[in-house]
Amino acid sequence: MKIIQGFFLSLAILGLFACQPDETQQNNRTSASKVPSNLVLESASKAETEQKALPDIYTEYYGIYTGDFVGIEMVKDGDDEYEQEITTKISLKINSITEEAVYGHSIVKGKQRPFTGVFDASNKTFVLDEPGDDKTDGRFTVKLKGDNLTGKWVAYQKLAVKAPNKTLNLAKKSFVYNANFMLDPDTDLIDWENPKEFIEKYTDSDSGEVVQYKEEKNRVASEAVFKLNGSKHTLTEKQLKNLRKLDLEIIKNTIYARHGYSFKKETYRYFFEQTDWYIPTNNDVSQVLTPLEKNNIALLNRFIKYAEDEYDRFGR
Amino acid sequence: MHVIKRNPLLLLKILLIAIFVYFFILMAEITWRYVPFDRFASFLAIKQTEVDERSEYLWFFYAHVYTSLWVLLVGFLAILRLKYWPKLHQYMGKIYVGLIVFVAAPSGLYMGIFANGEWIAQVSFILLSVLWWWVTVKAYRLARQHQYGEHKKWMWRSFALTLSAITLRLWKVILVYLFMPNPMDLYQVIAWLGWVPNLLLIEVLIAKKIL
Repeated sequence: MKIIQGFFLSLAILGLFACQPDETQQNNRTSASKVPSNLVLESASKAETEQKALPDIYTEYYGIYTGDFVGIEMVKDGDDEYEQEITTKISLKINSITEEAVYGHSIVKGKQRPFTGVFDASNKTFVLDEPGDDKTDGRFTVKLKGDNLTGKWVAYQKLAVKAPNKTLNLAKKSFVYNANFMLDPDTDLIDWENPKEFIEKYTDSDSGEVVQYKEEKNRVASEAVFKLNGSKHTLTEKQLKNLRKLDLEIIKNTIYARHGYSFKKETYRYFFEQTDWYIPTNNDVSQVLTPLEKNNIALLNRFIKYAEDEYDRFGR
Repeated sequence: MHVIKRNPLLLLKILLIAIFVYFFILMAEITWRYVPFDRFASFLAIKQTEVDERSEYLWFFYAHVYTSLWVLLVGFLAILRLKYWPKLHQYMGKIYVGLIVFVAAPSGLYMGIFANGEWIAQVSFILLSVLWWWVTVKAYRLARQHQYGEHKKWMWRSFALTLSAITLRLWKVILVYLFMPNPMDLYQVIAWLGWVPNLLLIEVLIAKKIL
């Protein structure tokens, strides 16, 4: 009988933790990043081919204009509601200008919208219209001064968007892919977008009561994101094994960022907008990835999935 | 209630059988992820260096994964010692010893050599597999020699090491919950935490003549 007693005693100790696995698993799930979607906008390319009959003019103005997109939004803070200036990044890409029309696209928060419009050469003003089949479409009226493009944007459906009137202050940037680009070593590595709630306890020294309180913690990336370059070197399992999910995601998305991918997720926009080389120009870069990058992305995806599925779970 | 009063260990026994069943189901679920064969499944997702470079790796891996679950089960059944089926202990014991000595421990040794977590974890897993093999062989020999008292002690050591399959994974969940360490830092810790405390606990119980 003593044998059984002893054995069960040892198992009982283990059993105390028996209910943990499932619970922690759910808490720590964070959404995966899916880069990039294959939303190539047909209308833009079609329109561009149709106008090939007319000769391109003012080619010196072609290119990418990137900068701030500022609107006043109502922000709710508990019961309070107040106006606040919200700044996002926008890129306008002018692809072609002819006697009759201007073609290009805008890109904001990973959302790419084609536009067509006209260019008034006398006062260097563009009027550019997004198609209108999306509630966030609108008209840009922007003026070129040197390499700067400034002006405004007005939504077609004023009630459908948070800020129907926005101002633009853009500068022309030449986007050139460079495999050497890395996140700036001064980058703030905290992911502010996905806080997790933890329940902390402390014992009140006066009353002796145990007090519980909630605390939010944010993920922090490691220095590895400054060192591992997935566009230049073949990454190995050994290099990635000790990294957390956020590190793996940043290393992967740095590859996309070098190609000018416009991130839908605020998390990544935040990291890459801290660098001077990042110019979001496109919402699908899958066609321009190098074979080396594709292999590294496949490896990173495997590790990201493993981190998601296994990190906090009963298993290896 | 009367039954429980007469036999206070019965409740504990039922509880612990339930706990074992719970963890056995978790282990079965983990094993099931490797059916059917998929060279990228689960743990193998971060083991492609070995899978690519060593053609024998998957053989050892599957040998280990597919036997270990049954080692846990037959080991547990051997401990139960059903009164109405006295031979069960011998049958289960023989399967237990056979699976460990010929399949699970040698494949464990091979995988230990290529384990994640570099040498700190590798030394642990190599040591674990060698000890596991040796302790189990010794326990078996003692039974053959009818030294059942000693046999029992050595089999408890063997089963303590067998249970590391569960305790290692349990420590992982606990440590991740508490400290959120990086995966391989964690792995180096659980590689040792998985079996050393088990063995120490058994040694204490043996020394106190509880087992």
